[in-house]
Amino acid sequence: MTRIPTAELSRYLLTGQLTRRGCLGARRVAFSRFSTTTIAGLSQTQKPQEQQTQRIPSQPPAANTPPVPLRKQLKEQARALKASGKKKTKKTDNQTVPGWELTVGIEIHAQLNTARKLFSPAATSFNGKPNSHVALFDLAIPGSQPLFQPETLIPAVRAALALDCDIQPVSRFDRKHYFHWDQPSGYQITQYYEPFAKNGHITLYPRDGIAAEDGESITVGIQQLQMEQDTAKTTAQPGEVQWLDFNRVGVPLIEIITHPQIHHPATAAALVRKIQMLLNSVDACVSGMESGGLRADVNVSVRRTDGASSGKLGTRAEIKNLSSFKAVEDAIIAERDRQIALLEAGGVVAGETRGWSLGSTETRRLRGKEGEVDYRYMPDPDLGPVVIDDNLVRHLGNSMGTLPDAEVDQLMQQYGLSSKDALSLMLLDNGRRIEYFYDVLDELEQRLGLEKVSETTTVDAVVDQSHARLAANWCLHELGKVVELLDGLHGGRVAEDYSVVPATDLAAILAHLHRREITAKVANNLLWGLSRGEIRSGEVTNEIEEQGLWYKEISEDEYMSLCDDVVEGQDKVLTEFVRFKEGKSKAYPQGKLMFLVGQMLRTGPEENMNPASAERVMRKRIEEVYVPGLQAKE
Amino acid sequence: MSARTGQLRGSCLRRHVRSSLRSLSSPQQQRRLLNHFISKAPTSHPDEASPTTTENNGDNGAPSPRRFTLAVKDNIATTQSSLPTTCASPFLSTYHSPFEATIVTQLRARGAALVGKTNLDEFGMGSHSTHSAFGAVSQCPDNDSTPTTGQLSAGGSSGGSAVAVATGEADVALGTDTGGSVRLPAAYTGVVGFKPSYGMLSRHGVVPYANSLDTVGLLARSVGALRELVVDSGLWAEHDPKDPTSLSAAARRRCASGKQSYSYYYKQQNKQQEGESSSSSSTPNTLSLKGIKFGIPLEYNIAELDPGIRAAWSAAASHLQHLGARIVPVSLPSTRHALSAYYVIAPAEASSNLAKYDGVRYGLRAADNTTPTTQGENEGGVLYSTTRGLGFGDEVKRRILLGSYTLSSEAMDNYFVQAQKVRRLVRRDFDRVFALDNPLHEGEGAFDLSDLPETVGMENKFGPAEVDFLLCPTAPTVAPRLEDVGGEGKSAVDAYMNDVFTVPASLAGLPAVSVPVRVRGVTAEGTEGVGDMAGLQLIGQYWDDARLLAVAEAVAGSLETVEGR
Repeated sequence: MTRIPTAELSRYLLTGQLTRRGCLGARRVAFSRFSTTTIAGLSQTQKPQEQQTQRIPSQPPAANTPPVPLRKQLKEQARALKASGKKKTKKTDNQTVPGWELTVGIEIHAQLNTARKLFSPAATSFNGKPNSHVALFDLAIPGSQPLFQPETLIPAVRAALALDCDIQPVSRFDRKHYFHWDQPSGYQITQYYEPFAKNGHITLYPRDGIAAEDGESITVGIQQLQMEQDTAKTTAQPGEVQWLDFNRVGVPLIEIITHPQIHHPATAAALVRKIQMLLNSVDACVSGMESGGLRADVNVSVRRTDGASSGKLGTRAEIKNLSSFKAVEDAIIAERDRQIALLEAGGVVAGETRGWSLGSTETRRLRGKEGEVDYRYMPDPDLGPVVIDDNLVRHLGNSMGTLPDAEVDQLMQQYGLSSKDALSLMLLDNGRRIEYFYDVLDELEQRLGLEKVSETTTVDAVVDQSHARLAANWCLHELGKVVELLDGLHGGRVAEDYSVVPATDLAAILAHLHRREITAKVANNLLWGLSRGEIRSGEVTNEIEEQGLWYKEISEDEYMSLCDDVVEGQDKVLTEFVRFKEGKSKAYPQGKLMFLVGQMLRTGPEENMNPASAERVMRKRIEEVYVPGLQAKE
Repeated sequence: MSARTGQLRGSCLRRHVRSSLRSLSSPQQQRRLLNHFISKAPTSHPDEASPTTTENNGDNGAPSPRRFTLAVKDNIATTQSSLPTTCASPFLSTYHSPFEATIVTQLRARGAALVGKTNLDEFGMGSHSTHSAFGAVSQCPDNDSTPTTGQLSAGGSSGGSAVAVATGEADVALGTDTGGSVRLPAAYTGVVGFKPSYGMLSRHGVVPYANSLDTVGLLARSVGALRELVVDSGLWAEHDPKDPTSLSAAARRRCASGKQSYSYYYKQQNKQQEGESSSSSSTPNTLSLKGIKFGIPLEYNIAELDPGIRAAWSAAASHLQHLGARIVPVSLPSTRHALSAYYVIAPAEASSNLAKYDGVRYGLRAADNTTPTTQGENEGGVLYSTTRGLGFGDEVKRRILLGSYTLSSEAMDNYFVQAQKVRRLVRRDFDRVFALDNPLHEGEGAFDLSDLPETVGMENKFGPAEVDFLLCPTAPTVAPRLEDVGGEGKSAVDAYMNDVFTVPASLAGLPAVSVPVRVRGVTAEGTEGVGDMAGLQLIGQYWDDARLLAVAEAVAGSLETVEGR
C-alpha cells in the first residue's frame, strides 16, 4: 500500500482541495519531487515505497492510449511483480548472470539551461502558454532560416568540461531526417559528423551507487557530446487527436554518448544519476529526469564469457526513452535476461529498437532493422561551422567552480558528513539545498565564534565539526520535512529559495541547540513556527526568551522523584537488574535501562531534561535503591 | 529603366506585344496566353500612393526611390493579400507568407512597385517553367503560334519572370538562380539575367530549393538597370542578419577592397554624408574594354552546342578583341563533372528542404494525413505519404527520390561526398584561371603546376593564362518548342543538359550574367531550337560583381552595334 504524501493529505484536510481531477497530476508531481529526495538512497538500500515512487515519472506520450489511473497502474505493477515472482528479489543479486557478460552503452539527452532556442531568438519556456514562444523558423515557415544563438554554447561547453571532454575548435551542424508531427522541418538539426566535444570520461564510485562487482571505482568513456534541437510537445487528446505545443521545438539539447563500457545494470543507473548531478552542478541543465529534462536510451548486448564469442560484442538492442533511473536499471536487467534466454534457446538477438513501460518486466519491440529509419544525415547548408575559441573554453573552465566529486570529498573530509548525506545535500532541489547549507553553516560558525575551516584541513586536524553535522542533518531532514509540506501547499515555490526559513534564523536555532541552550524538540517547534510565519525572521532568540523555552535542567532531586514515579509497578523489569547483580545474567540490561529512561522523559518535562542526566540518575537509583530494595523484599 | 535592349527581344515576343496592343491588352487574356503570372497585383496608376514612397526601409540613407515595376518569382515571399507565395506547387497553392522576403523589402525601398508573382517550375526545379501547378509558361501566345514556331519554352525555372520583363510588364523581375534558373530563361527570352555572388543578396524569404546553391537573381531588359540597382544603390553592401549565409558587413568590405568598380558606390556614399545631393542620373563612364582579358573555356565548346550559338560566341569574341580586349583560351578541366555533381547536390538538399511540407502547419493536407494509423509500420504506410503524394508534382517527386537516395547511408559516400569533392575542384578551376584571388579562399596559396591536367595549356613559364572574366554561351541551344521539351520521348536528363554552362558558376558561388545575343541565319536544319535569341554568359571571380556588370554593360552595348550593322 502506498502512502499518500503528507502534502496531498494536508491540502485536502486544511483547504479541502484536490488540485487536479482524481489527484492524478498532483500525485504525480508530489511523487516525482519526493523521488528526488531519495536519489541519494543508493539503489540497494531503497525502501519498497520509494521504489514505487520512482516508477511514476512521466511516460513518453503513447500516441493513443488514454491515461491510466495511477492507482490502477500501481496495482497492475504490483500484480506484475507478484506474477513474475520477483517481488522481494534484491537487485544486488541481479547484477550478473553466471556465464554471461552484459555490455551497455548509454545516450543521454538533456535540456540545456539557456534563455533562447538553439536556432531562433524565441525564448525557452517551460510553463508558458502553449505556442507562445515560437519563431518563424521553429515552425519551418517557408523561407525562414536558422540563426544560431551563440550563447547556447556556454552551458554546452560547461557540460563538456564537466565530463572531461576535448572541446573541438570547429564543429558543424547536420540534418537528421525523419517524419513526425513533433518535428516541423522534417529533420532535426544535430551534430553527427563533427560534434563539439569528444573523448571525455566519468568516474563512478561506490557512493554513486555502482554495482559491488565494479569495485572501488569504474571509469566510463564518453564518446562525444553534440548539440541538437528538441521536438514539439505532443499531448494526446481523446479521439485520436494530438495537441502540439511548439514552445519546446528547437530548445537546445545536448546528447551525451558513452562508450559501451558498462557491465552492470546498477552502474548504468548510477552513471545517468551522476551525469545529471554533474550537469546540475555546472548549471548546464534546467531540470532533471523527474521533470522530463533528461532522457536516456540504452544499448544492451550480451555475450558468453567462456571465450566462445571471440571478443566480439553481441548484437545490441536499443531501448528508447527511459525517463527514470530505476527504469534504466530495470530495463537493462529485463533486456539482458531476454537476450540470454533467447540465446540459450538457440535463438538470435535481432538488432532492433525496443521500448520499456513503467512497471513492466519485459521490454517490447518497437521496430526492427527493416523498419529502421535511414536518417540521411546531411550537413546543414544554411549553417556555418561553430568555432569555439580556446579562450572561451579556458574562461568557462576557470569559472566553473568545484565539481561534485571534489565537493562530496570536501563535505566528507572537512565536516565529517557521511557520503550519503553529502550526496543527498548536493542533489536536492537541483543544488539549491547545498547552497542553503553553506549559508546556514557560515552563519552558525559566526554565532558560535568558530573559525572557518580551510580547504586543506581534515577532520583530524580540526577541533570538532559536530556543528557542521548538526547543520547538515537539519538542512537535510528537518528542513526537508518543512519543504515537502509547504511545497505541496504552495505549489513548489518553497524549494526555490527557502525564504520561509531564512538561513540566519535556522542558524540561530542551531546555535542555541548546539550550545544545549534549547532542546531538539524546542528547536523543531521554532523551525515550524518560522515556516508558518508565527515567528518573524530575526526574532528566534526573543521568542525563546518570551515563551520561556530556554533549557533549564531539572534538579537531581526532581530526576530522582521522576525515577521513583517511573519504577512504580515495574518490579518485573527491575528483576533483570537483580539477576545481573547476582551474576545470573552476563550482560547489563541496558535495554531495560533505556526503557525506563524513556518512561522518565515521557513523564517529566522533556524540554528541561537531559537524557544523559536521566540515564545517569536512573542507573544510580537502580544501583543504590531499587535493586537493594528488591533484594531486601526477597 | 532603359529599354534599349528591347530591340533585341525575340521576334515572337515582339509579335505578341504588337498583337496585345491591338486586341489582347487585358491581363487575364495575357495570362491565359503566356501564363507567366500566377497572381497579379491590383492595377494601380503610377501616381497612386505606393508603399515605396511612404515606407522607406529606414536604413543608412537609402537612395531616393525611383519608381519601377517589379515582378517577383513566386517562390519569394510577399505579404500582399493579392499575392500568395505558391512556389507553383499544389502544396502551397493558397499559401500566404506571414513575412516579406528581405530582397522585396529592399527593392520596395528603392521604388519598386509589385506587379505580380511570376510562374516557375515548382520550387524552382526545372529548366523550361513547365513543371508548374499553374501550367507551363510560354514565350508565344496560343493564337499567335504559327506552324513554323509553335509555343517556345521561356526557360526555367524563372521563366515567368523573364517573360514579364521581355513583354515590358515589369522593368525588373526577381528570380532565383540555383543552377542557371535566371540565366537560362534570360537567354531564351532575350533579356539580361544576373546571378550575384553567393551570399550577396539575402535569401531570407526565398523558399529554398538547394540552400548552398540558391541565389536571388535579377532580370531586366538592360544591364545598366541591374547595375544601378545592385551596385549604385548599394544593394550589394547590405548585410541581412536574418540570413545566416548573408555575408557580414565586415566580410563585404574585405571582399570589395581592391575592386575599383565599387568605388563609385563609395563616392556616392561620401557625397551623401557630406550633404551634397547625389546626382543619381549620372552613371559612371562606360568602362573601356581595352586590356580586359576574357577567357574562352575550351571545355564549353561541346559537340551539342548549337552551331548558331557557336558562331555568335566566336563573333562576339573577335569583336571584343577588335575593341582592345584580350581573348585567351583557358581550361576548366572539372567542367565535365560539374553537371552530374550539381544534380547530386541540388536534389539532396531539395529532398531535405521539402521534408517540411507535411500538411501539419500550413499548405495542403490530405484527409487522412495525421491519423495515427498511418504512422510507421502499423499499416505498412509512411506518415504523410498521402499528403505528400498529392502535394508535389512529378519533377519535384523525382528530385526528392533522387536526393533521398544519394543521401541514404549506402549511397552517401559514392554520390553526395563525391559530388562535394567535384564541387571543390570546380571552384579550384575557376580560382586558377582568374587573375583575382577568391577572397573566401585566400589562404589556399599557389597552384602547383604538377597538379594540372596535361590538357591545360601554358601561357608562359609561370603557368596558364589568368583572366578577368570568362566568356561562354549561357545555354547550348536556343529556346526549344514547348512540345519538344514536354514530350513523352524526352527524359528528365535531356532537360538537365540545358544547365551545363550555368551550373559551374553556381557550384563555385561566382557571379555570372547572361546578355542577349541574336542568333542569325546559321541555325542548322534539325536543331531543336527555334527561337532567334541566345545568351552569352560572363562569369567573374567571387565578389567581382560590380566590375562584371560594368563589363557586361559594355559588352552588351558593343554586341548591339554589331547587330545594328
